[in-house]
Amino acid sequence: MNKKTHHPKRYRVLGSLILAASLFAACGDDSSSDVEETTVDTATIADTETTMAEATEETTAADTAATGEACTPDQEIIDAAKTEGQVNLIALPDNWANYKGILEAFRTKYPEVKNPVANPDASSADELTAVETLKGQPDMPDALDVSPAIAQEVDTKGLWEPYKPCSWDEIPENMKDADGKWVAAYYGIMAIGANTTIITDGAPKSFADLKDPKYKGKVSLNGDPREAGAAFAAVMAASIANGGSFDDILPGIEYFAELKELGNLAGTDVTEATVISGETPIWLDWTYNYPGLAPTLEENGITWEINVPSDGVYGGYYAQGAVKDSPHPNAAKLWIDHIISDEGALGYIQGGAVPARYAALVAAGKVTDEMKKNMPADELVAKVAFPSQDQIAKAKEVLAEQWPTLVG
Amino acid sequence: MPVLPLTGGHRTGSPLRRTPRLALSETIGLLPFFTLVAVFLAWPTFTLFRMAFERTADSEVPAMREAITGTYLDSFVYTMKLSALSALLGAVIGAILTAAVVRIEHPRWIRNAVSSFSGVAANLGGIPLAFAFLAALGTQGLVTKLLDWGGIDLIGAGFTISNFAGITVVYLYFQIPLMFLVLLPSFEGLRPVWREAAVNLGATPLRYWRHVGFPLLSPALLGGFLLLFANAFSAYATAYALSSGGAKLIPVQIRFFLQGNTITGKGNLGYAMAAWMIIIMIVTMGAYLVLRRRAERWQR
Amino acid sequence: MRSRKKAPIWAWLVVSSAAVFFALPMIAMARFAFQRVPVALLGRDTILKRWTLDGLFDMFSDPDFRPALWLSIRIALLTVVATFLIMLPTALWVNTRAARYRSLVEVATLMPYVVPPIALVVGAGGAFRDIAPWFLRSDYSLVPFYVILAMPFTFRSLDAGLRAIDLRTLLDAARSLGASTPRALVRIVVPNMTSALSGSAFLTITVVLGEFTIASLFLKPTLPLYMSYSQGRNPQGALGLAVLMLLFTTLAFFAASRLREKGRRSTREAIGVLP
Repeated sequence: MNKKTHHPKRYRVLGSLILAASLFAACGDDSSSDVEETTVDTATIADTETTMAEATEETTAADTAATGEACTPDQEIIDAAKTEGQVNLIALPDNWANYKGILEAFRTKYPEVKNPVANPDASSADELTAVETLKGQPDMPDALDVSPAIAQEVDTKGLWEPYKPCSWDEIPENMKDADGKWVAAYYGIMAIGANTTIITDGAPKSFADLKDPKYKGKVSLNGDPREAGAAFAAVMAASIANGGSFDDILPGIEYFAELKELGNLAGTDVTEATVISGETPIWLDWTYNYPGLAPTLEENGITWEINVPSDGVYGGYYAQGAVKDSPHPNAAKLWIDHIISDEGALGYIQGGAVPARYAALVAAGKVTDEMKKNMPADELVAKVAFPSQDQIAKAKEVLAEQWPTLVG
Repeated sequence: MPVLPLTGGHRTGSPLRRTPRLALSETIGLLPFFTLVAVFLAWPTFTLFRMAFERTADSEVPAMREAITGTYLDSFVYTMKLSALSALLGAVIGAILTAAVVRIEHPRWIRNAVSSFSGVAANLGGIPLAFAFLAALGTQGLVTKLLDWGGIDLIGAGFTISNFAGITVVYLYFQIPLMFLVLLPSFEGLRPVWREAAVNLGATPLRYWRHVGFPLLSPALLGGFLLLFANAFSAYATAYALSSGGAKLIPVQIRFFLQGNTITGKGNLGYAMAAWMIIIMIVTMGAYLVLRRRAERWQR
Repeated sequence: MRSRKKAPIWAWLVVSSAAVFFALPMIAMARFAFQRVPVALLGRDTILKRWTLDGLFDMFSDPDFRPALWLSIRIALLTVVATFLIMLPTALWVNTRAARYRSLVEVATLMPYVVPPIALVVGAGGAFRDIAPWFLRSDYSLVPFYVILAMPFTFRSLDAGLRAIDLRTLLDAARSLGASTPRALVRIVVPNMTSALSGSAFLTITVVLGEFTIASLFLKPTLPLYMSYSQGRNPQGALGLAVLMLLFTTLAFFAASRLREKGRRSTREAIGVLP
């Protein structure tokens, strides 16, 4: 029987072209002084959690020394990787944070090392299953890209191979494992997408906006929060917008319960197909999932708009690392280096994701405005904070208990 | 159909010969089959049950008990309701369709066409099916829009494809063909001569059906219903694609626990739920077999 | 004498309504797949615009498409062969020597409905992972599971085919004419079963080409998985392909059944056994 299973990583949605346009307009004056911009950002943060800006501040001292020079991994590793000849990757869809471009960049840099991607559609849990099932086999995954929860599980099972890429110091503290087991090469921010061909009277710009009766039956979550990372993040973001915090996801659950009661929360699951058909005109997804579908939307004559909700800025990262006892350990390390490197980072930027070393790159003047067109606005990037693993675990428990009863 | 005795050798020979219960010549042809079933069906099932009972370290309550309490019980009930309703409707409509198709003798290709399509449709599901219905009857559906032009506002009237009723309708897309496939041989077995004989004896069509047709068909009908129930019970992708309500379905929840991105460490619950699914299905299938037995009796 | 009675109106009404119900969603899906105009913008002036097969062509030219298609075809063919190798003897035996095992066999063939695919996969993963992990790694590990999944259909079909031809009589007749049992089977029984055989084969292929759950949980890149993944990159193309496959399999099924019909009729005429 052909029955679909849910794949949380696949939701490509629409372009931040409008966002970019507005960005351009807003940043027109600032483009001259990139370094100044960064220091202004770091100074204006007053949030309680470790925001990206604060984390960046900690590394700013090291920054000024390290930026500007792209470091290269050990020659030994490069040579060994070339001998190995390939790195087995898994679950990296083309349209997710521009992995297509990043994979190509790797092939250009190291033509002797192939990088096939198995099962682009697999979920993080599937990746872990693959590692366990394929243990000792030549097609065992060498490197993973998984949600923080699964990264934790991989750690518990002792399956990470610690490796600190050469630009380790430029990665903010909260985006890497202290022992080097994994890094978070990129993160995204939860945003509200709107199909403006159907939503003709103003796109929603905040969680509060979504409650407007004119959006009745039009808002969709990207999957079920108990399973999909993007949906989970949306609930957390909603929680922040409604007086909750990383420690308290209940306001977020209650928010969606209310949305459902108002009739605004439509039942349909969001997929690219439903976005194009207009079945789901308003949806919540990571910023980096929007650029991917831009061409198809244009072909279909659809206009769209992306807005990061002003009342709840929530960021989420994915963790990457090399797998212990994998068939091509050095190639794996090379890959990790690549995604952290400038080429990798710029690739992520084009996909609308924020790379780990974003602040350092901006400081070094390597990020042009053209590149930033798919990115969320700088002020928003600065406001982003990540919950800790414990907070996530606790939130999931509350979710598992409360979501069925309240939202159903 | 009565079978003539004997093709298999000289079993009815000397009374002195004690036929061993598992005579090789009798069973050797069945060996591949039973091996397959044992290795790839029975063994995984036993493993599943073992895992369901084993991994209870995580919580105070045994996973098997937890899997049918609270919200999970609601999920089981919801899943069973959906399965039962779609099975009932599918069975009834399928039976009517089969009766209709069998009655149509010209053009001759109609029966084949319906059979062929049913073979394909019965296996349809998941995103293509869900999306096809969305494309037709969703808020941006083609049919919705056409009706709108014609003055009928479906959405305004509260129609939606993503509630319980909507999902049931979508399930019918594969339930009805399945019922057709199951019933066709039985309907075709209703020889026209019987009908003609009944008419000759003065029976109206209704009486014919009541006293001859229906009793002959009822085991197949009920059996088909149970099969449809089982079919719907294990389906989930279609419902999930259509609706967040699909998340209430048991197979979806199993997948959450075992393959999802956010919830980890609840694997034991997943196994327990799968085990319970099997138990429910065993009961259902048991009922089916009892009914099949009775069908055999009628057909002799 | 075949009765030439005209079918009642209600029968035609039922069949037409069913046809509408089954056709509409497919038509809507096809329209979405092949026309680049959202329903919201659909109107008298746009109805004929922007029809394109580009989505399909993109699918066909995708480097991942052919391997997935090829893998699914291989698995489907292997499953058909395996099904015949396993289920044909079973059906034969049950209809002749092992008649008393019939109930047991029938129960067993219904087990796939008892054990839902997701439960089966979970159990299989646990069962094989520790003992024979090499099995799970092979792409062909799907074949035995697909044979099992298709079992309810295939056994019924083969069994019905055998009962319809009154196997015992045929075999007795052939043997009394001097043929050995294997020869009788090959020369007499099998040719009379072409309908059941091809029906089983087609059903098996349909099951394999549409099966998603087991393949996805075993992480095998089959066609259904590829199509699911393509929903993300190229939704209109993927759904267009789905429509195409549906059309193709239905037509193939239909064509095969027509050929069988003709074959059956001529065989019956030849033997002298007409309905």
